[in-house]
Order: sequence, then structure tokens, then C-alpha cells
Amino acid sequence: MGKIAILKFPGTNCDEDVYYVVKNVFSLDAEIVWHKSFKSVKGWDAVIIPGGFSYGDWLRAGAIAARTPAIESLVEARDLNIPVLGICNGFQILVEASLLPGALLPNENGKFVCRWVRTVVERPKGPWLSMAREGEVLDMPVAHAEGRYYVDEKTFYSTLMKSPLIRYVDGENPNGSLYNIAGVATEDGVILGLMPHPERASESILSPRGFKAGGRVIFESLRQSIKRGW
Amino acid sequence: MPLSHAEIDEIRNILRREPTVEELAMFEAQWSEHCSYKSSRLLLKLLPTEGRNVVIGPGRDAPAVKLFKDWLVVFKIESHNHPSAVDPYNGAATGIGGVVRDILTLGAKSIALLDMLYLGDPRNPHANWLIRGIVKGISDYGNRIGVPTVAGDAWFDPAFNTQPLVNVACIGIVRPEEIISSGPSPGDLIVIVGNATGRDGLLGSSFASKPLSEDVDKDIGAVQVGDPLTEKLLIDAIEVIRKRRLAKYVKDLGGGGLTTAIAETAADYGLGAVIHLEKLHTREPLTTLEILVSESQERMMIVVEQSKLSELVEVLENYDLMYSVIGFFTDDGVIRVFYNGSKVAEVPAKELAKPKPIRRASSPPMEALKGLKPLYSLPPEPRYDDAILKVISSPNVASKRWIYEQYDYEVGIRTVIKPGYGDAAVLRLLDGTNRGVAVKGDANPRYTYLDPFNGAANAVAECFRNLIAVGSRPLAIVDELNAGNPEKPEHFWYFEMMLKGVAWMAEELMLPVVGGKVSFYNEDHTGRQVKPTATIVGVGRVQDVTKTTTIDFKESGSYIILVGVTYPELGGSEYLYRVFRLEEGEIPKPRPCSELRNGRFVYKAIKLGYVKATHDISVGGLATAVIEMSILGNLGFDIDLEKVFAIGAQRIDEVLFSETQARYILEVDPKAINNLLKLANRFGVKISIIGRVTDSGEARFRKRDKTIASIDLDLLRDAYRESLSREIEGGI
Repeated sequence: MGKIAILKFPGTNCDEDVYYVVKNVFSLDAEIVWHKSFKSVKGWDAVIIPGGFSYGDWLRAGAIAARTPAIESLVEARDLNIPVLGICNGFQILVEASLLPGALLPNENGKFVCRWVRTVVERPKGPWLSMAREGEVLDMPVAHAEGRYYVDEKTFYSTLMKSPLIRYVDGENPNGSLYNIAGVATEDGVILGLMPHPERASESILSPRGFKAGGRVIFESLRQSIKRGW
Repeated sequence: MPLSHAEIDEIRNILRREPTVEELAMFEAQWSEHCSYKSSRLLLKLLPTEGRNVVIGPGRDAPAVKLFKDWLVVFKIESHNHPSAVDPYNGAATGIGGVVRDILTLGAKSIALLDMLYLGDPRNPHANWLIRGIVKGISDYGNRIGVPTVAGDAWFDPAFNTQPLVNVACIGIVRPEEIISSGPSPGDLIVIVGNATGRDGLLGSSFASKPLSEDVDKDIGAVQVGDPLTEKLLIDAIEVIRKRRLAKYVKDLGGGGLTTAIAETAADYGLGAVIHLEKLHTREPLTTLEILVSESQERMMIVVEQSKLSELVEVLENYDLMYSVIGFFTDDGVIRVFYNGSKVAEVPAKELAKPKPIRRASSPPMEALKGLKPLYSLPPEPRYDDAILKVISSPNVASKRWIYEQYDYEVGIRTVIKPGYGDAAVLRLLDGTNRGVAVKGDANPRYTYLDPFNGAANAVAECFRNLIAVGSRPLAIVDELNAGNPEKPEHFWYFEMMLKGVAWMAEELMLPVVGGKVSFYNEDHTGRQVKPTATIVGVGRVQDVTKTTTIDFKESGSYIILVGVTYPELGGSEYLYRVFRLEEGEIPKPRPCSELRNGRFVYKAIKLGYVKATHDISVGGLATAVIEMSILGNLGFDIDLEKVFAIGAQRIDEVLFSETQARYILEVDPKAINNLLKLANRFGVKISIIGRVTDSGEARFRKRDKTIASIDLDLLRDAYRESLSREIEGGI
């Protein structure tokens, strides 16, 4: 069995968290890979781009990392059907690299926000959401300054409404995202990006009162999908 | 502070000749208050620094305390008051950067940040600008380096309108056998790693060692600018360097820059050094003097054996970190500095590192009498519904959500008790066990202003209680004493009293003070000092993070227990200030015996599983404590004040709002109540069953059958959650 690559850039800061959860909570094999050593997606079971501030968020969040050879090599993942997950800054990178549609703008109130929120899954499909139910509520924390998702109306209706989608529960949108969008995926769900942090919501000890560990389903889906396909 | 004439004579004596300009600059940087503690050193000896858990005490960049047999906790407090007054964003950000690098010097992994902020009135435009900038600076820097900001303290008072206090702390953990502590030997190479040296922060420590100018823009050149990306790379690289044992010694280039790093290291190990300044990587052409005293951020000194240099360089290059090998240590105790082959300075390390301590004159000002005056006539009793709402919506009491939601307090996936949920933050060690560490920072500027000795002692006690309340065993503290101008006896008196208060209470509670900082010259351009403030940060040992307790009420029907005796102690209280604008009177007495007895009892009761929620009583008194438990648990309560064990209270407010020390509120399951009473008896602790948790959606205080106050929970919740945001963002 192959391994999950956790991509690390200068400024990535959730790599060890994702590694710990993938390895210790879900018993999956993983490795933190420094971007300079990541040559190709081939040979990996899945790639996770964790959160943080790659290249210090200079220019725009994710903009510089999106233009590194490591990320450019991810284009292949689509053709090879290798699952890719971008969390927070990883989502920003995927959007900057045009692997996912839309853009992530500074939060509406201009401030960084760290808070637990409730999200809902729509049209779950693919390696990251195969075990989620339609309409399932996932509690996870967000922690970002540039998470306001923007997309034009046409793309939203023609593409996103046919693909797996994660939306903030009405009234819990922390950043002013259009259509309450928290995460988007390719139509087959192989590439998923989301602002909330599933790795911070994978153990009940870390869930504050009134919230459940809503990130588990994402890693459980991956475990299942690696074994049996999706 | 420029060198005095006497100091320049002293330097001539040391060198037996006229100093060069470079030498003068080196002495000015190193002999500044900030670096040398010359005014405070004699008094600092009073602090108890030893204990069986202390592994490294004061002296190094950061102390280390035994958390468990196989883990050390390394923690440190810093102030960045002066830079934050001039440039709040960069001033606060670089405070975080500096304190994190101090933790790095021992090779520890930084797992938490705390910020203790003493800020101006949010409705004052200048203070508002400072508040926003300071919080954003901490947010942007702390978030980017991936260290969660999990706890702290925030206080708002017009005394801090132009000169805020920004105290930050960092907590790290390291395995005892992996700590970097072997120390340099003659012949070892001096490598400077990180940012290129520039003209920012020139003589910043010297700037922090004098009052602010009237025109603060004049001081802007002394403020450093932060680069969190480089800091993050330093963190990552030093982790590898520690694992591969490539460094013999690591030191931050902080206050005093290159001069201090080299002088202190050489002096501590009886060494000298040879430095070639032209080898240092710089951002722009600099003079030799500028190179020696620049305080550019994100720079560290790594001492490496010659044979391991190539391996070290390989690690640094992998992380794209800039570095230069600028010299080596020698065995003759003299620091020789060269530039392109010509000698620019030759100074004995020991004499440079430690100027002679100064015994400053100290005498109380007339103003200090305000804190000695007993409150013999209080204003008439208010309507208690209104008074409670006023206190709960005070920015000093209300939820600090506006601040902590701007911080990533989750990164690292260790934060078990998060901001707003407990009296202290609790972090798990993530080592396959359930063990963890509790951390908290505390101060009360109003107390230390009215009575610096007792106020500082109370800060130590409050920190102790906060650590107990989550179920941890307090281990050690560090302190930051923020004071006025040490050259003015009536300012210095506050410093002296605060220090003695900390020393006394730390000794009584058996909490070694393993490190600390002193910040002087916290006065505005008119010479008025801010409220002198003693900030305490403590760490506690958590055996099992799944058995810690939070503040929130858990279940309707539980008993509400008050631990400790209540005295009529309203002097310096939030209630008197918020409701009557009074800031006077004797502050609550420190009660070390009660603290120890009650603390041990609460610790034991939590450990035995009798307790469902715990909250210590501090600012705002009993009323505030139970209302916070109620709001966070979304449950009401019904309390009979007649049941409170109070001595000498004549009025209702003396029970509701007294800030008597050594008290806690516990939520206890009816099934456990008999066991708890027995335990209290065994410990000789006074406890009172004062009421029940209810699902009525109402906070109710009564005296037997007479309702004293009855307030809808939604109203209280709104006041508690939103008041600070309304104060800062505007609105009613």
C-alpha cells in the first residue's frame, strides 16, 4: 500500500497536525514531504495540502505556493484519479492554481477569525466524502483571514451545484462567503478544498461543548476509499 | 537612556583609555535598563527561584521546569510596551517573535502563546487605534508561525491610553535529554542565522529604557519590523538542529542585538570572542556601530563545533535561511571586534555584560494613601439588576471574544480547554498519553496601583487559583513587572513593593519564580506613570486532560458551592469602579494560608470527580463568577445569599461583589455532595451550599425569600458576549 503525502511549504503550519491525525487517529500511512522533494503525484495514495501561511501569505494567500513545481505537478492528479485535499491555506493554493474554481477573498469584517462552525454536506461523492450522508452536519473550526469564497453565478449553477459542496449552516457563515460556501470539489469529488479544519475536529477531546468531531467523516472516507475505491 | 557621565568614567576605567564610538554604543546597548537590569538586580535577589522541579532557573534566555519525569516545560514572559506605543502592529508582533525565539534557544517546541494586554479606554480614538493594532499584530504574527494563542488577560483603563502594556509569554516543551544546554567552548564558531541585519530597531533597548518622547514619531526608528515567515523557518530548522545535535548553544539576538548576544554568552561561560563584522549578512550598507546594536528581528546565534558546520549549513540551506559565520569564541575573556581587518572594539566580556547595580531611592507618593484608606462610607446600595448588568458588561469582565477569535488558538491540535471555556488553558502533550499542561496569565493594574505589595501578591494568588480551577497542579511562575521611571523615587517605590509582593506570595504558595522581566519608564511624555502592573504567568501539571474542569454549568439540579470565606472587601473592586466610578480603598487582603488550603481541597475534589464545573472568584466577585458559569452553560441559577459564609458584611453588595481572595465556585452533583462535605471537613475548608443550577433561563439572587436580583439569561448573555466588541467597534 502506498502513502499519503502531506505537502509542506515554507510557512505551512498544520502539517504535523494532519500527520498526527491521519496516522494516529485513522491509522493511515503518511509522510510530510518538503515541497522541494515532491516531484510527482505518482506513487502516492493521496495528497493533502495542510493549512498555514505558505510563503507568509505574501502577495495573496496561496498565490506563491500555487506556482511552485510541487503544485504544478498536481495537475496530473486529476488524470490519474489521485485524491487531493486542500485544507484552509491548502484550499487557497488549489484555487490559486485553478485546480478548483472560484477565489478566496479577505473576510468580510477584515479580521482573522477562529471559531467552531457547523457545515452541511451536499451531494457527497468521491474519496473524501464517500461516507458522508446528503445533508449531514459537520462541526469543524475555521481559522483564517482570507476565506470569503467568491464565484460567478454561472460557475456556481453550472458546476458547483453538480459537485460535492460544503456550506456553512445559515447564520454561521464566519467570513461572508457567497452562497455560504465553506468547501468545493471537482465534480467527481477527487479534489476537495475547504476552509474549516477537519484535522482539528477528529477527536472528541478537542470538540468544545455543543460541537461534535465533524472532520472524522473526511478521513474515514479516505481510509475506506483507499482500500476499496470510491 | 544614553550613558551617564559616571558610566562613561566607569568605561574609561574598565578600558584604561578613551572608548571608541563602537565601544560606547556597545556599552550603551548592554548597560541599558532593558538588558542589564541595573536598577532592579539587587531587589530581584529577593525572589524565590529554587524548587525541586526547577531545572534551569533565571539567567538563560528561558527557564525550564520539570513538568513530568520525561518532559520539561520552558516558558518565558516579555514586554513590548514601548514599541507598541509607537507602532502597535509591529511592536506587538515583534514581542511575540522575541519570546518565541527565547523558547527556541533551549531547543523546546513552542506549543502556546499568551498575551496579557493592559490597554486604554476603547472609546478614546488613540487608544482604540492602539488596541486594534496590538491585537492584529499578535494575530498576524502568532497565527503565521503556527503557535496557538490560547490564554491571557485583557484590561482597559484610561491610564493606558497612550502607553499600553503588551506582555506576551510563550510555553514550550522539550524532552530533558534533548535540551540544548552544553554551552560554548573556545574555538567554537559563531553563526548568525535568519534575517539580514538592517537599520531597524537601532538601540531599541536603550529607547525602551527612557520615557516616550512627546512626539512619538521621533522614536519610530527604534521599532523593529517583524517577519513571521523567517521566524517559522527558524522554528522548523532548530527542531532539526536539536534532533541532530548540531548546536552547542543557541541564543536570540534580542534587545541589544549582536552585542548583547555575544557579551552575555561570553561572560556566562568565562570566554572571549573574535568577531568579523564584514562577514554578517546585511540588508543595506551599515556602519560598524549600526551592525553592533541593530535589533533587526528573527536573528539567532547558533554556536557550533567546527566539525559540524557543514552539516548545520546543509539544514539552514534546505530551509532557505540566510546565515553567516562571523567569528569564534576564545578563552581569554576579551571580545575583539574587527571590520575588514581593523580592530574597532576590544572589551572585556564580563565588565561589558554586567554594569554595577544601582540602588535606587524609593519612597511612596501621597497618591498611595488612596489604597490605605478603609471604606467607611459607601454610596447607597444600587438596584442590583442594574449593577449586575453594569459589571457584566464592563470590558474588564465581559467576554474577550473580540480579541481571542482573531487568534488561531487551535493550531497544533493540543488545545483541550480553549479560550473562554476555562480559568486557564489546557494543552495536551500529544505524546500518546493523556498528560498535559495548564497555563494562565494574570494581573490587576487597579490593585497594584492602589497597593503594589498586596496587589502583586494577589496576582500570584489569582494565577495559582486559575491553574487549580482547571484541575492542574501549579508548578512555577514567571513575572513581568511594568513600572514607571526608576530614577524617580515615587515611581520606583511601586516597583519595589510589587517585587516584594510577588516574592512573598510566591514563597508562601511554594511557586518558584523561575524567570521574569522588568519594564521601566512606562510613563507618558508628561512624566505620569501608567498604572504599575505586576503580570504573572504560571504553568500547572495536568495528569489527565480528560479529567480537567471548565467554567460552564453542566446540569440543572446541581448544587452551587462556594469555597472560602467572604469578607467585606470592596476596595479597588470592579463594582465600585464600574457602578460608582470609585477607585480607592483597601484592596482585598492576600490570604496565602487560605489559598493553599482551599486550593488543595479544590484540586482534590476535581481529582476525585466530585466537581462538574469550577470557577475561581476574582474581578467582579461572586456575582460575576456564577453568572459567567451560567452564561457559558446556558443554564440559570437560584442562589440564596443568606447561605454565603460571610464575615462582617453589612450590605448585599459586600457579598455579591466583594473580591475576597482564595474563593472558588463549584458545581457539584447532588450525589457527590456528601462526599464533598466530608472532604471539606477533612481539609478544614469553609464551604457553603448557596444554591442550585436551574433550567429557568434566569439568574436569580435572593435573600431567603426576598428577591435581590432576577435577570433574564438572554440579556446577560448579550451583555457578556457583545460588550467588548461594542466598546471597540462602536455602537451602543
